[in-house]
Amino acid sequence: MSNAIETRDLVYRAGKNFELRDVSLHVREGAIYGFLGPNGSGKTTTIRLLLGMLRPAKGTITILGRQVPDEIARIMLHTGYVPERPHLYPYLTVEQAIRYHAAFYDGFDTAYADELRRSFTVPLAQKLASLSKGEMGKLHILLVLAQRPNLLVLDEPTDGLDPVVRRDVLSALLDFCSQGTATVFISSHLVHELERICDWVGVLDGGKLVVELPMHGFKNGIKRIRVAHAPSLVGDTPFVMLAREMSGLEQVWVVRGWQAPMAQWFEGVGATVREIVDLDLEEGFVELLRSSRTPAS
Amino acid sequence: MFRQILRSQWLALRLPVALLAVLGFALPLLTVTYGGALENAPSATVAQWLFASQKIGILIPGLALLVGLLLGIGTWAPDHAGKHVYALSLPVPRPMYVLLRFAAGATLVAVPVLALGIGSTVAVLAVKLPSGIHAYPAQLTLRFAMACLVCFAIFFAISISTRRAALAVLGLLGGVLLADLVLAALSISGGASVTESVIYLLTNWPGPLAILMGRWALFDV
Repeated sequence: MSNAIETRDLVYRAGKNFELRDVSLHVREGAIYGFLGPNGSGKTTTIRLLLGMLRPAKGTITILGRQVPDEIARIMLHTGYVPERPHLYPYLTVEQAIRYHAAFYDGFDTAYADELRRSFTVPLAQKLASLSKGEMGKLHILLVLAQRPNLLVLDEPTDGLDPVVRRDVLSALLDFCSQGTATVFISSHLVHELERICDWVGVLDGGKLVVELPMHGFKNGIKRIRVAHAPSLVGDTPFVMLAREMSGLEQVWVVRGWQAPMAQWFEGVGATVREIVDLDLEEGFVELLRSSRTPAS
Repeated sequence: MFRQILRSQWLALRLPVALLAVLGFALPLLTVTYGGALENAPSATVAQWLFASQKIGILIPGLALLVGLLLGIGTWAPDHAGKHVYALSLPVPRPMYVLLRFAAGATLVAVPVLALGIGSTVAVLAVKLPSGIHAYPAQLTLRFAMACLVCFAIFFAISISTRRAALAVLGLLGGVLLADLVLAALSISGGASVTESVIYLLTNWPGPLAILMGRWALFDV
């Protein structure tokens, strides 16, 4: 299966304080890829690089089999983009904004746009300047879905929306995905939200891609293990050690890539496993970030 | 696509366009306010009237400058406000997008031009000219159109440029003024002024603002 988005060794510097370093993304066609990261980790910058709005200092970007930035206009014809903040023209009415947007896309599905607008209850005659944040978020989503794109790039599309609107937006997104084979690249710092919809996940922290793996691997592979008689020095392990802390006479290890047969490794080093706890996505995310900032010894 | 860009631009700029159109229509009419039936008037009265109408004519290149300024900058204002994110996400090659924006802006420039053309025609019809005096409504309108387009193009280009480029232009202008001050302070200018030279270069052929200079007369000999 080919990749809808592929970057190689992407480097971008914004001033002295921020740098994206060697970001290599692989987003498979048809995947719903969650791009996780704390605020300021570089998610929006990465997305703007992907869409040719910024130029990388180094590295290559391929979207839908085409090179960025050389073929960006063709790429955008098949890509729907919802930015972090709405940038539509505020003096237009909803109807005018839909018409304006539709004029740029040959395959714009006006009937679907109208259907979505009704279900979202976005008032047609209202000016964008007077729309609520939720209505604006829904308008943005309906515009890009009605494009019938092959790739959806959503930058924190539900950030700041109330739970009802958030559910409407995510439902519309999932409905759209169930209708075809579109790839979705969705950035967020709301871990629990991505847990429900994504099948792949990439974690960015401090401008560096910490991990990229299938969601089930992320959800099931990160464990908190209570270990007795743990060796003071840990050599090669069959799993990835994320964190290691003392807890009374025992140690608490947080590991990634865990599989049940790996328990035998502990017997081999004279340690005893007291308890293995599944971490949910949010806990796993926090541990990943912690380990990427201070690698376990 | 062009129609939608034009429509969006019109919605954003309709108030300034309407204001400019009113001014464009009113200026030629103002030039004949003193007039009336001049056919049998003494030559001194006709000369005074011509002089007065030419003084009002000076305002026409000023209006062209205003048209260029408001529409040139206004064309990019909605995209500037959104940091160009929406524009950059549209599936149009960037030079094409700039061209579409320019064409839409230039189309809106036609509104005050048309208003000035109508105003000039009405003004010419409102006055009975003595022999030897001629009216030039078409020529004035054409010249006004050219001046508006030149000014629009200049402000469009300034407005689309990056902050760095805008600062470079401002820095250049500041440098010219500073050079004059330094030369004057050191008393080595020998009567020459860098600022005056730059203004001369800009406002005399082939300077871009040369079209704004000279006589702007609806009525002349």
